[in-house]
Amino acid sequence: MLEIKDLRGGFEGNEIVKGISLNVNPGEIHAIMGPNGSGKSTLSKILAGHPIYEATGGTVTYKGKDLLDMDPEERALEGVFLGFQYPVEIPGVNNAEFLRMSYNALLVHKGEEEIDPLDFDEILDEKMKTVDMDSKYKDRFLNDGFSGGEKKKNEILQMAVLEPSLAILDETDSGLDIDALKTVANGVNRLFNKDRALIVITHYQRLLDYIKPHFVHVFSDGKIVKTGGKELALDLEKNGYDQYVVSEN
Amino acid sequence: MSSLTAEKGQAPEAEILESHKKFIENKETSCKFSSLNEIGISQFEKLGFPGSKHEMFTFVNTKEITSSFSTPSNTEIDKDQVSKFVYSECEKSFLVLVDGKYREDLSVLSGVEGDVKIVVGGDAMDDPEVREYVESSTNSENDVFASINSAFRHDGLLIDVAPKTIMNSPIQILIISGGGDEKTESSRPWVLTKVGALAEAKIIVRYAGLNGNYFVNSVQDYLVGDGAGLELAHIETDNKSARNFSKTRLVLNRDSRFNGSNASYGTELTRCHMEVRLKSPGAEFRFNSVSVLEKTEQVHHYARIYHEAPQCVSAMHFKNIVNDQSRSSVDGTVIVEKDAQLTNSDQLINSLALSDNAHANSKPNLIINADDVKCTHGNTVGQIDEEQLFYLKARGLSESISKTLLTKSFAASIVETIAFPSVRKDVGNTLLKKLEANDD
Repeated sequence: MLEIKDLRGGFEGNEIVKGISLNVNPGEIHAIMGPNGSGKSTLSKILAGHPIYEATGGTVTYKGKDLLDMDPEERALEGVFLGFQYPVEIPGVNNAEFLRMSYNALLVHKGEEEIDPLDFDEILDEKMKTVDMDSKYKDRFLNDGFSGGEKKKNEILQMAVLEPSLAILDETDSGLDIDALKTVANGVNRLFNKDRALIVITHYQRLLDYIKPHFVHVFSDGKIVKTGGKELALDLEKNGYDQYVVSEN
Repeated sequence: MSSLTAEKGQAPEAEILESHKKFIENKETSCKFSSLNEIGISQFEKLGFPGSKHEMFTFVNTKEITSSFSTPSNTEIDKDQVSKFVYSECEKSFLVLVDGKYREDLSVLSGVEGDVKIVVGGDAMDDPEVREYVESSTNSENDVFASINSAFRHDGLLIDVAPKTIMNSPIQILIISGGGDEKTESSRPWVLTKVGALAEAKIIVRYAGLNGNYFVNSVQDYLVGDGAGLELAHIETDNKSARNFSKTRLVLNRDSRFNGSNASYGTELTRCHMEVRLKSPGAEFRFNSVSVLEKTEQVHHYARIYHEAPQCVSAMHFKNIVNDQSRSSVDGTVIVEKDAQLTNSDQLINSLALSDNAHANSKPNLIINADDVKCTHGNTVGQIDEEQLFYLKARGLSESISKTLLTKSFAASIVETIAFPSVRKDVGNTLLKKLEANDD
């Protein structure tokens, strides 16, 4: 589904991702772990098409197409979803209305008819239950004044509504208490199936107790320095990143 | 520039003084206003016509109105023309001023609830409190256009809400300008609203125009009694080529509350001057303002909030969206007097520039003479937030839909604070439609 070959890139001329290669197939969960500043989030932003982040080398192929050549909205419509580390607050944009617009954009892209607000409301109610989100958040402004936990739940709600083929979750677990973490992980697991793929970026092993990865990759200084199974995450938890960290000198 | 009254090159001062002489000679005024007219013109002479260096008009080009002081000719208007400017909440409670003159024939008062007296013209000055307030405030008036309004006052309205009266539905004051082809006509509407102690009043002021060009130079006074509340919407829906200057003087007494909103639909030149006096402890002033401007439209706000007593609250939030070559400015100062301890004041100005040629100027100020207060002021001028734009695009929304959504959302957070549903809806539809028209 996703083939990353020797990807390099960063922002404002700084190369942060320094040659990443990774294959992600349907039905696979990949965890990317690593210390702060190792390039995990930069990779996710390059994959989602953030305008400040630029790929300076390598290729990314998604379902046979050049992902780097697509606009961010095209990537989203083709089924790539980025769960933001820091979901953006947008006062004045109604949460439910935004979700409906997003859902309709997807339907139109697929050549289907847009859904009317009442029918969408039913879908939304159903999805909100799966992430244990109070219905009052429908009428709130997008992420505006949400707690950290509610913002992350809202990301997972968006994912549940849009049902992407490839979801990249950037530190979805950071700042969550254990109950919120379980809820978010349950929401993610419920969505996962053999046709979908998931890249989970995390700093802590704790999330991987609830979302079981098939592969764990350790990032250091913009490169994958170690790849293993879920036992690698346990090793990292126990022995830390230092053993894998590449010295800059 | 053509003029009906001024000789070419004549200074605006001379033109206004000459017009005033004729105004008095022709007995265009009620004798009850005559002392006020005198105070107004002498204050005008003291202040002089402001140029671009005048502190109060830094962002406003007053040259545009130097020959806009002739009295409007009689405007023909019928009820159907009026009805399209009336909000649905006010179909049975609206007062119409056409070119500054109250029009009983066009107004409907059957829905006015409770003990609310409407006093027309010079009779308003029979109320000693009103006379004392109006004359003393005119005597110390610092806005030359408000002094011109007083100098030429010939009509107006007093809305007297008796103590403990609770108005469940609002009264709309409709300020209509007839206008004409020449940019010379000027009307000077005046409305004073007195809210008695413990009363709750709701007022909607709407400006509208019939034809092309005019200069509406209004003064509004609000005296809010002890423990009383006033909910106000001030909506400028004038013709695009109109010039609208308004002076709003607001006096808040002990434990009184004011909740106001302002929306500007955009004209050639709009200026709102607000002077607020929190006179006694516990008074609360809240004000939100929004404008969406395009082409060469201009809206300028000038606000002075005087905290004269302890434990008062003031909060102002301005949002302006400027596109094309349009201009907005907000010059707001909160003055906390020495005795006004425990003042709580917030002022926030957010401007969104959608084009490189648009201008948004902001001047938030604080003058604090007390030592135990909590005051904030903030100011942002920016373009569309790239992170917000990316967030929406990352959910599959196109660039143009995302931008429209973001500009709408910027305005929407103020629009939703408007207390009256039909006004809120109309402001939302009009301003948001303007943003759609700007869509790529």
